[in-house]
Amino acid sequence: MKNPYLPISMVVKKTNVETTDRMLRTLELSFSNEEDAKSFRFIPGQFCELSVLGKGEAPFGIASSPTENGSLKFTINKAGVVTTALHHLEEGSEVGIRGPLGNAYPIDLFKGKNVLVIGGGFAFTTLRSLIVYLLHPENRSKVNEITVIYGARMPGLLLYKEELNQWEKRSDLKLVVTVDWGDKDWKGKVGLVPNVLEEVAPTSENTYAVICGPPIMIKFTFPKLMTLRFPNERIYTSLEKRMKCGIGKCGRCNIGPLYVCKDGPVFSYARLEKLPKDY
Amino acid sequence: MIQEKIREKARELLTNKTVDLIIGFGEGSLPLRTTPRFIRNPEKVDRLIWNSFCENNLSAYLHKLGQFKVGLVVKGCDARSVVALSLEKRFKADQLFLIGVPCQRMVDRRKVSRAVKGEILQAREAGDLIDVKGDGFEVSLKRDDFLYSSCQVCIHRNPTRTDVLVGDPVEESPLKETYQEAKAFEKMSPEERWRFFEKETSRCIRCYACREVCPMCYCAECFVDSSNPKWIEKGLSPSDLDFYHIVRAYHQTGRCSGCGACERACPMGIRLTYLTQKLTMDVKELFDFETGIDTETLPPLSTYEMEDKQEFIK
Amino acid sequence: MDEYDLFAPVQLAEGVSVFRKIDHPDEVDLSSANTQKPAKELFFPQSEVMFRYEKVGKRNQIVSLDEENRERILFGARPCDIEAISIIEKVFVSEEYTDVYFLDKRKKTTLMGLGCNHPISTCFCSSAGGDPFLRAGSDLFFIDLGEAYFVELLTEKGMAFHQNKFFKEADPRDLTLVKELEGKAFEKVGYTIPVDGIEKRLDLMGESLFWDRVHEICMGCRICTYLCPTCHCFDIVDEGGHQRGQRVRNWDSCLSPLYSLETSGHNPRPSCRERTRQRLMHKFNYFPKNFNQVACVGCGRCILYCPVHFDIRQAILWTSSKRPKGSERGVL
Repeated sequence: MKNPYLPISMVVKKTNVETTDRMLRTLELSFSNEEDAKSFRFIPGQFCELSVLGKGEAPFGIASSPTENGSLKFTINKAGVVTTALHHLEEGSEVGIRGPLGNAYPIDLFKGKNVLVIGGGFAFTTLRSLIVYLLHPENRSKVNEITVIYGARMPGLLLYKEELNQWEKRSDLKLVVTVDWGDKDWKGKVGLVPNVLEEVAPTSENTYAVICGPPIMIKFTFPKLMTLRFPNERIYTSLEKRMKCGIGKCGRCNIGPLYVCKDGPVFSYARLEKLPKDY
Repeated sequence: MIQEKIREKARELLTNKTVDLIIGFGEGSLPLRTTPRFIRNPEKVDRLIWNSFCENNLSAYLHKLGQFKVGLVVKGCDARSVVALSLEKRFKADQLFLIGVPCQRMVDRRKVSRAVKGEILQAREAGDLIDVKGDGFEVSLKRDDFLYSSCQVCIHRNPTRTDVLVGDPVEESPLKETYQEAKAFEKMSPEERWRFFEKETSRCIRCYACREVCPMCYCAECFVDSSNPKWIEKGLSPSDLDFYHIVRAYHQTGRCSGCGACERACPMGIRLTYLTQKLTMDVKELFDFETGIDTETLPPLSTYEMEDKQEFIK
Repeated sequence: MDEYDLFAPVQLAEGVSVFRKIDHPDEVDLSSANTQKPAKELFFPQSEVMFRYEKVGKRNQIVSLDEENRERILFGARPCDIEAISIIEKVFVSEEYTDVYFLDKRKKTTLMGLGCNHPISTCFCSSAGGDPFLRAGSDLFFIDLGEAYFVELLTEKGMAFHQNKFFKEADPRDLTLVKELEGKAFEKVGYTIPVDGIEKRLDLMGESLFWDRVHEICMGCRICTYLCPTCHCFDIVDEGGHQRGQRVRNWDSCLSPLYSLETSGHNPRPSCRERTRQRLMHKFNYFPKNFNQVACVGCGRCILYCPVHFDIRQAILWTSSKRPKGSERGVL
């Protein structure tokens, strides 16, 4: 019987710093064994538990899309023991992985609909996975309009800057990047995400919204979505909660009768409404 | 009767809004047990009781109640914990109203349970006897034979620095020699001491009840929970169990009032007061300091003087 | 004991007993109504190494420790503890993921339950869906008749002991005695607590003032969780360095403030109020929603060992505003 607690070996292929404060780093990992690479299938929105043996294990949303074959990307915020250890890994170091875990963004529901993606700060990681997936030639035609609003506190804190530049040039995607405070080089929009959302005012008809960001951003953006008449069943978010086992056994990440690791981390607001505010 | 006086005082304090809340003892659902009671309504003060089973140190609740004005029922040891906490600036002076009760020494409910065969279903205090009744037995026990060891050696039964004393002061002579447990421990050889200590801690289940009920354990991050640096693992390895108990005892040096709440809380019956008693005895000898007596002098390990002895630094 | 590892209640100190592997029948101690640490620790040890790792060259070699060597027997576990094991099994063994450590131990253990001739006043198993002579879950069920044990072989694993030299055919008179003992025990546990329907009642109490009161006396230790036969939350930590070490899982409790503390500093359950609510809701509302059963077997250990004498029965009663009938009053 497969032991779900044993990590599989992966190797760090590349590591690069994403933000000017050096707190966010993207790791590109590839499987040590061929068979593991072949059998790993995931959908945007899922996460994995990354292990640095001796330090511990922590959950991270998969930032790469299943359409990007070969390696997996994770963007790690340096905050505690495990994340600091991950930041200090060099190319060629070994990392353990357990996954894919959790549920995913409801891609099937997006078929034939518009998709509005709102991201704030470091929470943009799994949203990247979703956007790259949807932009892939095989998938792009399945959904209608894609609008992305992504905000960070400062230009230096934006993730995936090169990709953002490329996306801005595309015609099959409306991308609005904003910052709370600009700097002398910043030529883009300046404004808080909720306000930018109001400005852009995408239609809510036939549209699914996916929103990921810090609690404060969600707190102020959510009412704007209400004003735009988005119903709760069509607003999705990915929750973060302290996790350990990632498979619904250790009990830690529960919200009411549901486990964020197993029944989430993607939840619609309609579902969240019925749960206690334990997050 | 003390119980009446406590209720009266509580009623007065709540009615006059001198305090927001009274913390005292109420009846437990099992014989030989009381439970801490939080009373906010002057009409509910009849839920407060007083007997020989009021064993908890209620000053441990002060850490949770920073924003309220609290009337607290304290025995001698509890009052000294309050003084120790005030020196560590854990609360503001006008936040507390201390209702002091001269302590008749608390009864060890586990000792009583072990003295009879079968479950005790009813218990009653009658003077210096405790009448217990169970399925097929009825026995009268001499109260003094069943006191907690920390109560037997206590010489501070009358709480000091209280706002009111509900009852006549009692005499302070201990029933057993002061620091008796520590002295018995000292008589053992180092190997015997270690064996005794290890045997006791081997039962530990890391429930941290000893830590949580202790009024002096209030660190926002306890050393066992620190992950960076990680001082101790979270499992049951004997060295970790020993380490936890030794360090916790040492953190009490000069701060422990000897209330025994730690030992009373332990579900595995681990002896703990002998450790703190030994440290308390040493502090008295080396620094002539006793916890919770003086509201001015800081505990010796929380401060220093230039004249402090330094022979141990080589 | 030659073929099996035998686990039974053993006395560690006066009044303190736990389940341990015994080497000699004299070690068995069945004098107390129940042990302190519940039988769950045989299947879900308090501290368990999940795997060891060692760096060999550039790679880590992982050795999983999920195999039990010998068959085991658990003797002298009360029906409440045995029922609790199947409650934990519901979470640990599911279609998607199986906790191999738990399952392996479970499969390799024969459960010999022991009926409770003398339940104590804190037992409320009958209210929680069980009873002092509940056979469900046991492979063999023992009933103490005084001179001998009346043994029922209930499952295939139990039938394997049919030819055991210490067993002989039961006398029909023994059956009468069994019925008598059962009757007496049922009567004793009659302190009915309204556990029935508590899930629905708690549905309406999410933000009730009830939670402001319930948590007051709780000091946030972990006694109730660790001694509870059904509580199964755990923590996973790595011990060791980058050269070699092990990954260990340890019991944890949702009452600890660190339990849901996120690295950012945000804690969804910042005070004792939210944590005690979580624990009670999990036992009596969330778990039933997933598994149609309350995660409490009425063993009463939390009542006996709580340092501030929090009585879970009182909390359950408050949810229904009923008062118990015929309760024995304690100290006057």
